[in-house]
Amino acid sequence: MQRQNPSIPHRTERKPAMLSSTRPGWRDIALLVVGYVALDWASFIHPLHGLNITPWNPAPALGLVLLLRHGTRMVPAIVVAILIAEIWVRGLPAALPVTLAVAALLTGGYWLIATVIYKYLPEGVIFADRRGLFIWAATVAAGTLLTSGIFVVALALSGYVPMDGIGGAVLQFWVGDGAGVLVSMPLLWMLFDDYRRRQLRQVVFHPGFLAYLALIAGALWIAFGLGASAAFKYFYALFIPIAWAASRHGLPGAVIAAALIQFGIILAVKSQGIAAITVLEIQILAAVIALFGFFVGVVVDEKQRVSNELRQTLRLAAAGEMAGALAHEMNQPLTALSAYGSACEQLLDRGDTGPTLRDALRGMTRESHRAAEVLRRLRDFFRTGSTRLEPIDLAELIDAAATSFAARGKRDAVTLSVGPIPPLRLLGDRLQLEVVLRNLLSNAFDAVAERPPGERRIRLDAHDEGGAQVCIVVEDNGAGCDEARLAGLFDGFRSTKSSGLGLGLMISRAITEAHGGSLWAETGDHGIFKLSLPTEGTSLHAD
Amino acid sequence: MQTSGLTVYIVEDDQSVRDAVGLLLGLHGHAVAMFADAESFLQAYRPEWSGCLLLDIRMPGMNGLELQERMARIGCRMPAIVMTGHGDVDSARQAFRAQAVDFLEKPLDQARLLDAIAEAFQRQDTLRRTSESRATIDKRLAALTPRELEVMELVVAGRHNRDIATELGISVRTVEVHKARMMDKLGAANVADLVRLSLGAGVS
Repeated sequence: MQRQNPSIPHRTERKPAMLSSTRPGWRDIALLVVGYVALDWASFIHPLHGLNITPWNPAPALGLVLLLRHGTRMVPAIVVAILIAEIWVRGLPAALPVTLAVAALLTGGYWLIATVIYKYLPEGVIFADRRGLFIWAATVAAGTLLTSGIFVVALALSGYVPMDGIGGAVLQFWVGDGAGVLVSMPLLWMLFDDYRRRQLRQVVFHPGFLAYLALIAGALWIAFGLGASAAFKYFYALFIPIAWAASRHGLPGAVIAAALIQFGIILAVKSQGIAAITVLEIQILAAVIALFGFFVGVVVDEKQRVSNELRQTLRLAAAGEMAGALAHEMNQPLTALSAYGSACEQLLDRGDTGPTLRDALRGMTRESHRAAEVLRRLRDFFRTGSTRLEPIDLAELIDAAATSFAARGKRDAVTLSVGPIPPLRLLGDRLQLEVVLRNLLSNAFDAVAERPPGERRIRLDAHDEGGAQVCIVVEDNGAGCDEARLAGLFDGFRSTKSSGLGLGLMISRAITEAHGGSLWAETGDHGIFKLSLPTEGTSLHAD
Repeated sequence: MQTSGLTVYIVEDDQSVRDAVGLLLGLHGHAVAMFADAESFLQAYRPEWSGCLLLDIRMPGMNGLELQERMARIGCRMPAIVMTGHGDVDSARQAFRAQAVDFLEKPLDQARLLDAIAEAFQRQDTLRRTSESRATIDKRLAALTPRELEVMELVVAGRHNRDIATELGISVRTVEVHKARMMDKLGAANVADLVRLSLGAGVS
């Protein structure tokens, strides 16, 4: 169960530079009109005085999203959409001039909300962080309250709403518009953006999505099935699915859960014929639940982004260190080569072709092999490029590493034993993790070389550490590490042999850390290296 | 190129580099001594050694720059040449501040290496000569009596015999005797010589 890395760090959102920049295509205009009317039709429940004063009114959310995307050019289309909805959904309850004026008034209100949001969030990153979310929610709440007040008073002055019913009407209209926008706008916003649409799709096609659906259905049943007879006391059950979705999938999860919950609520309200006043209360709760989910989701996204950035920084630092180590490792054989070469020239100038010349030439051959070896090992590490995560069977990984050393074990008379491996799965880059294990085994082979043949033993073990961590242990009966040696062991420049033990360990550690694990040596009378890695099921977000 | 009595002391942790560079310098007629790390060099070091140091910066334990500092602290003025795998500005600055002759990047350029060694030996030679002449002067000065030393200081200060006599409360004739003996002991032919000598010895 894995969060599939939903956010690219620091993605700059594609957004109009001003609230009037991109010209809407006919597609967007048609989408607005049809969508607006459809949403209005679907949400026309418990109308007050036959007017569009309902406890759930998500249509303005669509208007707001398109206003934010296309700016003022969208205004006429919204007026038209409102008019069509008045005529087609409600059969024009007020006189045409009044309806026209009211449509213009509502559109003005939405335009104002969009402009304020745009002013405070110029990059259009409404749902990128807590600040954006807060400004958006506050603007929507205040803006819809203002619009409701003006709208209802205007209707009252025209005689369509009784004067003493203004308070109730404003409340219902406000809650309907406010809750409608708060719950639906993030979903619509994301649907209009290619990248965010992909994020939503990722949540929907995630294997855990069915579990969300089941949990939401269960929570709805608790809230409306069990709860109906208890005056909706159990409404709070609906917090559980949205909290789960938000913490697992960030904002996209929360947005989808909020939409599903809202949909469930409307179905329940329609099928159970719940009283208007209760519907109003339920809508307030629905808005609160949605906001709660969005805030959790945004916090999860922010945390994710920070951890991705940190990981990136660490990786760059590791790359810098690797470059330094590489320069050193390559320069030594090259220095020796060029010095041997100059020496040979000197010897030939003198006509000295004796053993000194032969030694120098042998030195050159040896050093070229050494340089090639450094390159070969580095190629191993860099071959895979970026870390690509896939589920890996722990036993398979360890077997593959051990098998690749079977021949060497026979040749060097080393007994390589593999302990019982717990049936766990890792999420990692198979090639890179194999390189780490091979590197540890190779070190162990070098360490036991000091012992007489027949007494050379290496053991490979893995323990389930609990907490979704597995610890792979490579032990050898070589000399082991004392404190002093341990201190410089992972330093690329402190190699104890010419091929650079330190460099290999340093890169191994960098790989391990990129996998969210750690690699360390322990002091003792024999060699002990431990590699701790997260198993599948923990939150790990290397990309 | 060969300079008698001067040795190149190579301190380099990598055996192949050490061997190859040692071989090359040996073929160019230099006496070479090799050490695998700074510690073993310091252990073996004798003050009478002269020549130059060829140091690798990156070494396990004490690095080349630290060794350079340590040598300066124990009063060893042997010139040093520093080698590095990747020349960063900081290490170069540090090396030159500690009076390094040159800062060479690996792989080493043969001509530059030999030039640097020649320059280092020249510097070592100058050092040795000045310290030798200073030692001679110091020895001669030590032979002077306190009175002769007083007379010398006043002569160097440009005073006439009569003034010196008054100053020291002795006869002009006695001043002349002290002065003649003093010039003789120092091997100075005239006052100009005397001034040069006293400057070289740092007496004033």
